[in-house]
Amino acid sequence: MTWINMLSPLQWALLLAIPPAILSLYFLKLKRHESVVPSTMLWKRAIEDLHVNSLWQKLRKNLLLYLQLLFVGLLILACIRPGWSGMNRLGERRIYIIDHSASMQASDSKPSRLEVAREKAMKLIQDAASNDSAMVIATSDRASVEQGFTNNRSLLEKAVERIEPTAQLTDVSEAFRVAAGLANPGRMSFEDNVDIQVADAVPATVYFLSDGAIGELDESEFGQLKIEYVPIGNPDTPNAGILSFAIQRTETQEAQANPGSISAFARMIQHGSQAIECTASLYWNDSLVDAQKVQLQPEQETGIQFELQGIESGTLKLQLDHSDALPLDNVAYAAIRPDRQVSILLVTAGNTALETALRTQRITQIAKVQIEPISYLASQDYQTNASESKYDLILYDSCSPEKMPAASTLFLGSVPPADIQPAVRDSNSADAKADPSASPETTLSTNAPANVANAAEKTDSPPSAVALEENPKWTFGELSGPVIVLDVNRSHPISQYLEMASVGIVEARTVRPPSSGAILMISDNGPLFAIAPRGPYQDAVLGFDIVRPSAEGMEINSDWGIKRSFPVFVLSAVENLAGGITEASAASVQPGLPVQLILSNRFEKYQIVDPKGKIETIQRSGDGRFLYTKTEQLGVYEVRAEGLEEPVERFCVNLFSNRESDLQVGLELKTGAESIAATSNTIRARQETWRWLLLLAIGFLMFEWMVFNRRIFV
Amino acid sequence: MPQASLDASGSSDQTLLSPEMMAKLERMELVSRKIFRGRMKGERRSKRKGQSVEFADFRNYVAGDDLRFIDWNLFARLDRLYLKIFLEEEDLHVYTLVDDSLSMDFGMPSKFLTAKRIAAALGYIGLCRGDRVSVSTFSKASAPLVVRGRSSSHRLIGQLQSAQCQNPAPSMEESVRHFCLRNTGKGIVILITDLMNKTGYETALKMLVAREMDIYLIHVLSPEELEPNLTGDLKLMDAEDFDMREVSISASLLQRYRLTLNAFIDSARSFCNRRSIGYVSVRSDQAIDPLINDYLRSRGLVR
Repeated sequence: MTWINMLSPLQWALLLAIPPAILSLYFLKLKRHESVVPSTMLWKRAIEDLHVNSLWQKLRKNLLLYLQLLFVGLLILACIRPGWSGMNRLGERRIYIIDHSASMQASDSKPSRLEVAREKAMKLIQDAASNDSAMVIATSDRASVEQGFTNNRSLLEKAVERIEPTAQLTDVSEAFRVAAGLANPGRMSFEDNVDIQVADAVPATVYFLSDGAIGELDESEFGQLKIEYVPIGNPDTPNAGILSFAIQRTETQEAQANPGSISAFARMIQHGSQAIECTASLYWNDSLVDAQKVQLQPEQETGIQFELQGIESGTLKLQLDHSDALPLDNVAYAAIRPDRQVSILLVTAGNTALETALRTQRITQIAKVQIEPISYLASQDYQTNASESKYDLILYDSCSPEKMPAASTLFLGSVPPADIQPAVRDSNSADAKADPSASPETTLSTNAPANVANAAEKTDSPPSAVALEENPKWTFGELSGPVIVLDVNRSHPISQYLEMASVGIVEARTVRPPSSGAILMISDNGPLFAIAPRGPYQDAVLGFDIVRPSAEGMEINSDWGIKRSFPVFVLSAVENLAGGITEASAASVQPGLPVQLILSNRFEKYQIVDPKGKIETIQRSGDGRFLYTKTEQLGVYEVRAEGLEEPVERFCVNLFSNRESDLQVGLELKTGAESIAATSNTIRARQETWRWLLLLAIGFLMFEWMVFNRRIFV
Repeated sequence: MPQASLDASGSSDQTLLSPEMMAKLERMELVSRKIFRGRMKGERRSKRKGQSVEFADFRNYVAGDDLRFIDWNLFARLDRLYLKIFLEEEDLHVYTLVDDSLSMDFGMPSKFLTAKRIAAALGYIGLCRGDRVSVSTFSKASAPLVVRGRSSSHRLIGQLQSAQCQNPAPSMEESVRHFCLRNTGKGIVILITDLMNKTGYETALKMLVAREMDIYLIHVLSPEELEPNLTGDLKLMDAEDFDMREVSISASLLQRYRLTLNAFIDSARSFCNRRSIGYVSVRSDQAIDPLINDYLRSRGLVR
């Protein structure tokens, strides 16, 4: 058993001060009445041992004082509600779900809806019976259990105090799933099979404190839950909000001449019953560049457009100059991506199709392409550039360097050098590497038939579904043909748009990536195109040439070069392997949602600066993509690389939610066919008065003690 | 101690002796358990043989004896000369010593008034019997009023009437020493006091005993002392030396006080008994008439 402390240090101090107070009353007696007697001789003898000679002599005899101290001690003991965490039966179970999404920051209820919700939750916690146990869940677009089931009120109150406002959206289903998981037997609280079921499955009452901007609930989730909906906020709170804000480079002919032309679009709405007129101000890097008067009709969306010139890069902020309950949605951010050109080296003996594909308008916008003959590989220039990460991507067309460069690579038809193999960790692989007889061919010959069988069996499923055997190394097969492409990996960004059905291939070799990689294309012979990370870089190997040199000159090995999917493939490869960015406007996500960053592989580390200036350093993985999830703040985030003054990437977090902007409090929750009405503002709860009675008793005791000492009746 | 009814008439009346009371007192006399030599012829038999009518003894005639006392009848019968001896009747010295310390000024009526009344009554009895009556207070022990004869009764009463409690009063021991130094003669000493003396009463009484006087101690206590009517937390102040005592009155304390008081009275009584001192305890609220007529008579002080 462990002692549960129910009192704060201040309360302890107050309680412990009472006995000394009684003692001091005992000593600080009031003035005695004077009475003249003929002689104190007899009294002196009589009171000899009753006389107040010393403090303890006096205390010794006073039974009343001891009784009083004992009584006060018991009162104090009662006050601190003594108890041990034993195996007692628990009373009612309560679950407090507190909405702290963006709309709860509205100030229509002073000081804010969240504050009101917290106060109400505190009241509910205080009003609960002493053996009721409760838990606290904060919900926005995700749920977090702030406090598991406990009957310790101070823990619950602290948990409620911990709930901070967020700018996130509302998705209460997770919170209700968590609550239901605890209340309904056989339910898991979380989908990843981690059951935080700390209490027996018993019916529970959910107190849902929210403004009701939550959409529809799935009543099948509730099970034994009894839902009490406590609406927070004023039902008819008007609010204007920006629903979207986007920018686009102007693509007209004049605009082409003027590269800084940008169009900005915004959509806004006024919730409530009254139309408003306000100014929408547009700021570029915090200086006002444009403004428009906007008429917002009630419950109608209004769009506005700005045309801007000379905006090369930076951030744009749109602000509605209108004061309402929720200021969060009166501001929207957009950012122009910094110009970023990736550097690409193509080493080829001559490949018109590939060179043409690298010369498209899209690619020239984002990449600088350098085309070199195969002999360039031997030059000192190449050695230096390749080892110093000068290139984001090197394409080896029917050729192969002596060692892998410090860049992402794409091999077309050629076998990469031996050091493409990932670092060997286990002893088996070490043995394999040490054995020179374990050539790629040998490996292939043993594995190939099984692979083909596997592939044939699983033609219905995408190649990614083909289980990669425990293979720590790249393995390449011998050329064989003709080859028919069976399927491409639609889930990978490089291969997702490829249409290979009509592509003919004369000869190809199988390409099997190590287990950390992915197969992107599969043929009747086995994997044909695969990708795998190598440290911070990625290597993609295509098992066939487009054209290859022969005795008669260049001969065509595949007609893919003249198919439409080939330039798409090249662009995807440039975007994903080199980290090229084609969009002018930076990504915008809603708060709390992840944002995908495509980062150049020239830098190992990046720093993400959030709108408040907080810096977080991230390590780039082999995949050039990075998912950033800490998008709680509204505003513009910048990604910076070491040594560069300009940020390499920007993205924005905007509220952009019609539901959060709508501050009209729903007085009922829709759950399928039924609805849960709002609980009346006064929730029936046991109002405990024992504390006051106890205080009264202590006060009465002190008064009695005072009267006893004064003998007012004398 | 008999429970006397409160003398309602005398409670506020400062008169020492009423005429009716005086009439009753005239018929009484003070009793001395010893026979003393007086200075003048009085109404008391003396040890000295003299010319009274009270026959005492016979003795042989020796030359020079007064022939008037020869018993001639005996000579006729025996033919020998015998002298008839008669007891001499002499006066009695009655000394009354009243405690006039401030502690006596308590009670309703005050102990001092009661003491003065007793002193007046006993003095009047003495005057009526032709005794030599001396009245003094502790503070004027060296200058007593000495009177004789009934005609002096007004002086006696006047003296007592004018007596007041003194502050500071001399201690009992000192007063008695003064008294003993001045009054060498023998007689009855009536000491009226409350014995509330922090230095003790024993030395004073022993001094009197040493004078071979017939001593009566009239111990006057007020009802307030016998049954204190006190409650609460009090600061008790001694009337004489202003000594302070803080007490919280409780039943147990009162009980303890009564025990102490009884022990005090008992010790005084036994002290007196061992030394042949007549000890008489008197409540200050006792009426003077029954006090003298019944109580003191039963105690053998008067008859």
